[in-house]
Amino acid sequence: MRSNAATVAAALQVPEEDIREGRPGELVLDVNAQALPGLADRVSQELEGRLMSLFASDERDQTAQFRLHYVWSLPRFQTFLLLSAPINPARPSFPSIAAKYPAANWFEREVMDLYGLVPDGHPNPTRVALHEDWPDGAWALRKDFPEDRNVPRVPGDHHPFRPVTGEGVFEVPVGPVHAGIIEPGHFRFGVAGEPVLYLQLRLFYVHKGIEKRFERLPWRHGLFLAESISGDTAVGHALAFAHAIERLGNLEVPPRGQALRVILLELERIYNHIADIGALATDVAFTVPASRAQALREGLVRTQDQVFGNRLLRGTIAVGGVKRDLLPEGREVLRTHLRAFGKEFERLIALLVDAGTFTDRVDGTGILTRQAALDLGIVGVAARASGVDADLRRDHPHDAYESLQFKIPVEDGGDVRARLMVRAREVEQSLEILDQILDSLPDTTCATELPEHLPPRASALGWVEAWRGPCTHFVATDERGEIARVKVTDPSFLNWPGLVHAVPGNIIPDFPVINKSFNLSYSGNDR
Amino acid sequence: MIPDAFLTIGASLLQAGGMLAAAPLLRTAIKKMKARLQNRQGPPLLQGYYDLAKLIRKEPVRSETASWVYVAGPRVYFAAAVAATTLVPVLVAVAPLEAAGGILLLVGTLAFGRFALATAALDTGSPFGGMGASRDMTIAALAEPALMLGLFAQALAAGTMNLGVLVRALVQQGPSWHPSDLLAFAGLFIIVIAETGRIPVDNPATHLELTMIHEAMVLEYAGPDLALVEWASAVKELLYLTLLVNLFMPVGIATSVETEALFVALMAWTGKVFLLAIAVTVVESTNAKLRLFRVPELVSVSLGLAFLALAIRFL
Repeated sequence: MRSNAATVAAALQVPEEDIREGRPGELVLDVNAQALPGLADRVSQELEGRLMSLFASDERDQTAQFRLHYVWSLPRFQTFLLLSAPINPARPSFPSIAAKYPAANWFEREVMDLYGLVPDGHPNPTRVALHEDWPDGAWALRKDFPEDRNVPRVPGDHHPFRPVTGEGVFEVPVGPVHAGIIEPGHFRFGVAGEPVLYLQLRLFYVHKGIEKRFERLPWRHGLFLAESISGDTAVGHALAFAHAIERLGNLEVPPRGQALRVILLELERIYNHIADIGALATDVAFTVPASRAQALREGLVRTQDQVFGNRLLRGTIAVGGVKRDLLPEGREVLRTHLRAFGKEFERLIALLVDAGTFTDRVDGTGILTRQAALDLGIVGVAARASGVDADLRRDHPHDAYESLQFKIPVEDGGDVRARLMVRAREVEQSLEILDQILDSLPDTTCATELPEHLPPRASALGWVEAWRGPCTHFVATDERGEIARVKVTDPSFLNWPGLVHAVPGNIIPDFPVINKSFNLSYSGNDR
Repeated sequence: MIPDAFLTIGASLLQAGGMLAAAPLLRTAIKKMKARLQNRQGPPLLQGYYDLAKLIRKEPVRSETASWVYVAGPRVYFAAAVAATTLVPVLVAVAPLEAAGGILLLVGTLAFGRFALATAALDTGSPFGGMGASRDMTIAALAEPALMLGLFAQALAAGTMNLGVLVRALVQQGPSWHPSDLLAFAGLFIIVIAETGRIPVDNPATHLELTMIHEAMVLEYAGPDLALVEWASAVKELLYLTLLVNLFMPVGIATSVETEALFVALMAWTGKVFLLAIAVTVVESTNAKLRLFRVPELVSVSLGLAFLALAIRFL
């Protein structure tokens, strides 16, 4: 049997020795930037690869060059493929693949905004990560851009919204400030009466420069920042960051730590999914199930507070394991609560799907076709609801998932109903997983000892299938073993374009429920 | 002997004042019952009054682009709702201003208020106001004929369009289980749900601007302007329920102005309105909101029911 590296090399038509297995489950190939479009074709066609992230790093102090990184998931080989290409600062551009692979669209523009590297041949090379009031030439992620530099605002509002014209067609601007407690984002609908013809998004109102901030933090402190990237994914992002550091430092997480991480990640999945299911009911004014779901979520987060000391499971993940052990009493509390939760949850779902007035609102609403989901590189719950069978827990197993029995629920509808049902089925699977793992917690320590320093000039990828979808963190160190670059990819960044495609053809009053069925993070997207 | 004119004015003021005073309580009671059905405590029963008092004390914030139409909207809407209360018999089988007109005047007065509010919503040029106004008018275009047909079906029973005369005739007749009564009641109940902006037609509790109908129209209003709109909506709701109970359950209505009869009438009216409020609560709690384009279908059903009720009267 040929090794993964050999098969991949053959498919990409490159010499086998060029492909390094940097770390388990992570193949690395250094290439020339001009070869990237051709390689993208081969990765996508021959290896069924899916683009998970694309970013640059500034290595001018070491190699006098920028470097571009393309992270492809190769589920067939249970490995990631990192294509990396040097970019000469004298000619700061690279060939775009966005026209053929729309998943690269925002990534490439983000590289342009933050590094000043221009994607040649990009169909729409405008700002995305920074707004037009940010001055040209201030490339924030370059190493020579000081973290505390004050940047003057360019006056005026010159965001180029694409005009939507025609008889009886008008534009409805919504946001960035919304009613209710949600984050800022601007939606612009082109409508003919109630039906939506076209939807444009403007995000990144809460861009906080998190990736830049990581570079100034001692690596042990990075976890706290990672936890805050998106408040509802504290475990997911903390774990992805911890994975990256552990793989960098060749740290082995003890089995009990791995098992507890699975418990935390699945609890996060459950409490978010139940909140979303309730929110879908709220959005169509189905009040009784909505408050039942709220009560279920509240009960669960209180139990989490009791058992892990924090309602939303912050401060539970540690680099090298977990911070807090689960004591036998806590295990009993959790088990009892989850049993009751499971029964209540079943009744709640029955209440929803048996109500004609509810299903009438969610069936056929906001359809994202399988083809669109594949083309756009949609991930997570949204992808699985459009018939794309992908889940990092199975495709690139992390923590204790390899030893667990669970199914990956996939629905074909691509509508609000399908996204609801994927969530419902996932909660059931999570309860199964918790049932298995609570019965067989290994008897080891919870965390491993940390080294004084990380290896210098090294890099690694950390990934987690969090509740919304895959979170990936790429971490690279400098010559002192401190953090030189962290690239955070939240599933929201990949999925927002999916919303743009799911909405047209629906009517405006159905937008909130479609938006909620995706429930994407602004904070995680904007970083 | 007090001249008739003074009597009419006095009765009108008394009835309008009473309806204004009672209306916020009805809204809060429905909120409270909804909350109880969701295992929540809900607001205190006087919350409706607290809210109005709070809004009235606040400064009105108006858009710079708004004209007098915007300022006039809530005032006309409020005045129309208050005027409408004098056209309907509440406790006594007499409408204070029944000499002025009957069913058509009532429907017309309410439609005038709605027109004023919809024009005001368009006035600021905000996208939500326009959206709300267009949706509200679409539904009204179907709901108003249905309302009239339903009322006509009852009017035919007594052969009069005058609500005072009609209620007196119905009281004499006693409760009726004629199929026409049942059909007209069902039709009008749907209209009441639609006209008062309740689930499954509209959601009075939502924060999602894009889904709103009535709330989208008044989204820009603040302070005393908003208080007028809210208060008038509450009065309208109480008025519709009163109309339903007095036309279809004419029990306990006072036929004289003796203290005892008035007391019985007050108790009966409160009880009947409360029963209907429970029905509204149950409908709101067991249904999700309809897709906007399904609302006309629902309203058409009520139009159909009212038409059948009317047809049966001729059989």
